[in-house]
Amino acid sequence: MPIVVLGLNHRTSQVTLRERFAFAEAQIPEALARLRQGGVVSEAVILSTCNRVEIYGYAERGAMDAHDALKRFICEIKGIDPVDAGQCYQLAEPQSVEHLFKVASGLDSMVLGETEILGQLKKAYDLALQCKHTGGKLNKAFQKAFNVAKHIRTATQIQRGSVSVGSVAVELAEKIFDSLAERTVMVIGAGDTSEKTARSLLSRGAKSVIVSNRSHDKAVALAADLGGRAVRFDDWSSEFGGIDIIISSTSAPHYVIDNEKLRPWMKLRQGRPLLLIDIAVPRDIDPAVAGLDRVYLYNIDDLQAIADDSLRQRREEVDRCEGIIRDRAGELLASGRGLGLANQTSPVLA
Amino acid sequence: MGGNLTDRGFFGLAVLVYGLSAIHTIFLWRRGFRRDDHIAYMLLLVAAGFHTIAMLKRGFSLSRCPLNTLYEATLFFEWTIATACLVTGVWSKLRFLGAFASPVLFGIGVFALMPGLDVNGPESPTLTAWSRMHAAMVLLSYGAFGLSGVAAVMFLTQEHDLKHRKSRAVLSWMPSMPRLEGAMKDLLFAGFGLLTAGLVVGSANLYRQDGVYFKWDPKILWSVLVWSVYLGLVISNVRFHERGRRFAWASVGCFVFVLLTFWGVNLLSPIHQ
Repeated sequence: MPIVVLGLNHRTSQVTLRERFAFAEAQIPEALARLRQGGVVSEAVILSTCNRVEIYGYAERGAMDAHDALKRFICEIKGIDPVDAGQCYQLAEPQSVEHLFKVASGLDSMVLGETEILGQLKKAYDLALQCKHTGGKLNKAFQKAFNVAKHIRTATQIQRGSVSVGSVAVELAEKIFDSLAERTVMVIGAGDTSEKTARSLLSRGAKSVIVSNRSHDKAVALAADLGGRAVRFDDWSSEFGGIDIIISSTSAPHYVIDNEKLRPWMKLRQGRPLLLIDIAVPRDIDPAVAGLDRVYLYNIDDLQAIADDSLRQRREEVDRCEGIIRDRAGELLASGRGLGLANQTSPVLA
Repeated sequence: MGGNLTDRGFFGLAVLVYGLSAIHTIFLWRRGFRRDDHIAYMLLLVAAGFHTIAMLKRGFSLSRCPLNTLYEATLFFEWTIATACLVTGVWSKLRFLGAFASPVLFGIGVFALMPGLDVNGPESPTLTAWSRMHAAMVLLSYGAFGLSGVAAVMFLTQEHDLKHRKSRAVLSWMPSMPRLEGAMKDLLFAGFGLLTAGLVVGSANLYRQDGVYFKWDPKILWSVLVWSVYLGLVISNVRFHERGRRFAWASVGCFVFVLLTFWGVNLLSPIHQ
């Protein structure tokens, strides 16, 4: 009597298919009730996120029957053609348990090692638990999955470092300033990357943001969106004394900030460091300013290189994490003999 | 083993483990300080354990705090650095302080084991509890200055990596710049406080024995010089907001000066023999 998994994720299907399988949170309790009433699984959890839809079940009859029944269930409840359901992967022990552990640890995520999925998995499990759709077997498996995720987070580097430009900028700022709590960010110019970077800094506690753009209306709109204030482009330098982080992405053909401008401004700062992030091409900030004391200059390539390095470091940890997962899955299955290692009738798809 | 090993034997083991820790630090450095694997801290803990046993054995055998010979003074001074690293290393963000300190500890330990340093002079009637308190406080201050220098080296390393946009500046487990700056400054200030108190106690002891607060002794002159230089650093930080790279280099430079001249000036000082 194994734990089984049926599902789709970003690797096996396009979003156009996944969205048809997706469950809204409000629909899940009823779906779980119908699933269990069918008698195929005695325990079930449904996980539905933007990158995956998965049903975890504890099957009374055996894996093959369970997978077929789960496919029929999902086709009926979502009105999907059985041909499309053929794209689902179907897993039985031990792969089903290993998959659960991998999902919890972020190893199966679009961004390797991301941590958001653990919260989503916990939420899905809590919902099923509250509605009494889980029992001893899935409770044990999911609790073990959360412990494995925690162990992998502390014992490996799989979740260390940042893999996006915005989060690299945040980590960089925290290395320079320790806390962002009293830091002010200035965004000069406009652009998707600079806006995302500013949002990342704000989400991590930066005190305020000032926006300046040649088009003052755009500056006002972006400032309102970010919860900050706008200043006219010709006046931005007057704010310099109170700014700690500047994100620059204008379309100016010349340097907006150079040594000649920056040297006298740095005297106003009384030794406080300044982080300059130059997103623009051609660059807004003269590279020579990096030689000034307490000035740290990074361009988009630098941030991307750090993000790539971080991702490479995470990938180096995958084998180690998979080893831990195999061991822990083995422990779980051995401790619950009778979870049906013999019933591995369904091949792993995808 | 414990029963047959002398105090110097235990200290030798401590130096060996400091050496292993220093080698491990090289591996950590090559990996960009990306992994907090606790090995560096455990090695330091083991070394400090042997070191503490060495000092206790020496102290119990002499029935006093072991601060008479240059060897004993060096052990004490080194022990304060090692212990301070272990205490600060409880906070994971400052754990690499011990890794950076271990090459320094290994070097001082090898130097301390030189036979010529462990020679007792004639038992001096001037050696009182006041003298020992003076010696202990001054050596503790040098330990604090040493750790401030280590924090300064970490600060300069981190600053260099950030300035040159190296990935390890962001991806490593090294503390942030403000934390390193804070550790550097706080340890230096603590060391200055201890040195001031130690010199006051020494001066008071001198008055008790000889009726004068000051003598033109090389070690006393040297101590006043060291105190003045560190006073300058304290004033530059408090009054003129001197911080960052220049302050870090000053902290390193001052401690290197102390390290290079301490033993020589001791040998020139009649009242410190």
